[in-house]
Amino acid sequence: MTLGTFIIKNALRNKRRATLSILSVAVSLFLLVMLQVALRELTNPINDEGSSLRIIVRNKVSLAQPLPRRQLQVIERIQGVAAVSPFTFYGGLYKGDEKFTSFAQFAVDPERCPLLISDAKIPKEQYEAWVADRTSCILGRLTAERFGLKVGDRMQFTGQIYPADLEFMVAGIYHGTADDRNLMFHQSYLDESLGNPGTVGTWWVRAASIDEAPMVTERINNAFANSSAEVRAESERAFVLGFVSMWANIKTLITGISVVVVFALLLVTVSTMSMAIRERFRELAILKALGFRRRELFAFILAESCGLAMAGALIGAGGAWVVFHSIDIQKATNGLFILFEVTPQMMGLAFAVATALGVLSSVGPMLAVARTSVVQGLRTLD
Amino acid sequence: MALPIKYSFRNALVRWRSTIATVLGIGLVVFVFVLLQSLAAGIEKSSGNTGDPRNVMIVRKGSTSESASLISRDNLREIRYFEEIARNEQGEAVISADVLVLVNLPRRDGTEANVLLRGVTARGMELRPQVELVAGRWFRPGMREIVVSAKLARRFANFDVGQSFRTGNSTFTVVGWLDGQGSAFDSECWLDADECRSVFERDMYSSFLARVPDAGAMSNLIARIESDRRFKLKAESEVEYYRSQTMTAAPIRWLGGFLAITMSIGAVFAAMNTMYAAVGARTREIGTLRVLGYRRRSVVIALLLEGAMLALVGGVVGCVAAYQWNGYTTATMGFETFSEIVFQFAVTPPLVAQGLVFAVVVGIMGTLLPAIRASRLPVIEALKAI
Repeated sequence: MTLGTFIIKNALRNKRRATLSILSVAVSLFLLVMLQVALRELTNPINDEGSSLRIIVRNKVSLAQPLPRRQLQVIERIQGVAAVSPFTFYGGLYKGDEKFTSFAQFAVDPERCPLLISDAKIPKEQYEAWVADRTSCILGRLTAERFGLKVGDRMQFTGQIYPADLEFMVAGIYHGTADDRNLMFHQSYLDESLGNPGTVGTWWVRAASIDEAPMVTERINNAFANSSAEVRAESERAFVLGFVSMWANIKTLITGISVVVVFALLLVTVSTMSMAIRERFRELAILKALGFRRRELFAFILAESCGLAMAGALIGAGGAWVVFHSIDIQKATNGLFILFEVTPQMMGLAFAVATALGVLSSVGPMLAVARTSVVQGLRTLD
Repeated sequence: MALPIKYSFRNALVRWRSTIATVLGIGLVVFVFVLLQSLAAGIEKSSGNTGDPRNVMIVRKGSTSESASLISRDNLREIRYFEEIARNEQGEAVISADVLVLVNLPRRDGTEANVLLRGVTARGMELRPQVELVAGRWFRPGMREIVVSAKLARRFANFDVGQSFRTGNSTFTVVGWLDGQGSAFDSECWLDADECRSVFERDMYSSFLARVPDAGAMSNLIARIESDRRFKLKAESEVEYYRSQTMTAAPIRWLGGFLAITMSIGAVFAAMNTMYAAVGARTREIGTLRVLGYRRRSVVIALLLEGAMLALVGGVVGCVAAYQWNGYTTATMGFETFSEIVFQFAVTPPLVAQGLVFAVVVGIMGTLLPAIRASRLPVIEALKAI
């Protein structure tokens, strides 16, 4: 028998306990990874090809305050602006929605859309049909699948923010963006239904190059400074982070819960490990009597507890990795979460926690072994 | 014959190390569960505590909240002559047309969030007796003055009395703090309605709030507005309106339930481990009990009692820990208003009861298998065990 098999045999001697310990570590680490993934999803905006070029312009007062339509001509003339389109959140309720829209609808300028949402893929004839028909819309693949909609279908909405109930004909279905759920329709259709108020929700601007984007942002802000409708232009990333900051204490909350989970896990594992060692105190004393050094006994204990913790980490964190990679999270959560990606850092964190667990839970038993003399140990009965 | 409760109790005390670990483990699970549910309960409590039962709230049909609603002046001109609405001594209808504006402002920590400004009339203030001034004075119309919620003032920059902030091309001076007594008004800032409309260029109102003399008039008024096709308005009792504004609580409840279930699976494994070890260490003792004539059933019950007792202590620890947060003010973005809503953690008696029941269930589930195993030990073998 080599030392390795000795440790493994020892660890698995009480199979039930080994299984239960591994499973409780696994459950907790699964939870830890999952919380990290959710936190990342909520606080880290998605970066796709177009997002580094996109600039979002909203009213400085708040997102809910409209912008005057006349700003279009000014923005168009600003140096470094490649394209600009209104982007008005319509917020209509579709069938089955009681209080909240399950997907966003935006009023845009269809002619400039391809430049602004460059990731979207749509058949050419569908796009042209959309541009041609003022009451038509294009729809993201996920929403189309969810409601079983196809080109030519009609959709009716009850206006929640705007006093206008709109009906659209689906002209096309797009895919390929980071979030294929949204509906896009003609700003002119919304304007007409509202009696041409001369306002839009926000402007979406595409900068000519990534290097120029920060300057363009500044130029837009300056162009409307001290006007009756001051604006806040910011990169798409900053805009999304602004949303995240409104969640206030959610980050603290999830971090706090993660800490509690890790702590609970620590307690359990420490208690199990010390139970396992206490049980074979006499054996350890015999080993000592046979001439094994204290150091070697420590190594046995450490290897056993770390081994159990690592097995738990493999099942828990590895399981999370496999599960979140293989399921279509967009479908499973109805688009609430989009990526749900397990990063190497999270796996690293899970394994680091497991290692710490293994080390910490062997400290107690080690101290006990070190303190006890051979004779005392041999005398112990259980 | 049942084993005395003392037996279970003293057994738990003998192996105090693993007992403490189990108790704390279950305690933490209950703590997370109760704490998250108390957040959701706090949101619901604050909405449920808002409004006057004599008031009717009128918003645009289709709008789910006051802040997303737009109503024209013409509607006000018509509705104010409805005889269902109460009159004051001067014979005027007691109805107020308010306007709500979302404003993006910096918090004290430098991040930003939306704040709900309510342009309110003098009558609108009378209609909301829950709101009182706790510092400074009320605003004077036309002077760009504003009264902010005292609870928001602790979170937002420049919200102290005497300070000022800039928005919508105007500089507003904070002249007072209001307190909504734990209602949704604690998440609002009040200024003059007409001033608010002119600064933020709004010709439309957001909502009407009307006082009715009695319950009969209330249902008549609601029926009359809802059935009148000219209006496209929705009327409901103010209390009902606020009671349904609790969408923000739903995901928190969901998260709390989900975490509780997942963590409790881990806790059940841990409790099982402890109890298996406890049974293993007492094999001879259990054999002795059986020889003495105690039945299998008694042994199972004694062990289940032991597990339940441990878990209950854990549950109490968790609830006590969560209770430390009771009444603590926190905030998040409200889904309906799209603005910062302040509320307090509410550790309510039903939540505590749920937490304790939950703990006991975890304890019993963790003990059941080890207890059954103990009761099945062959008596002679068990007596031989060392």
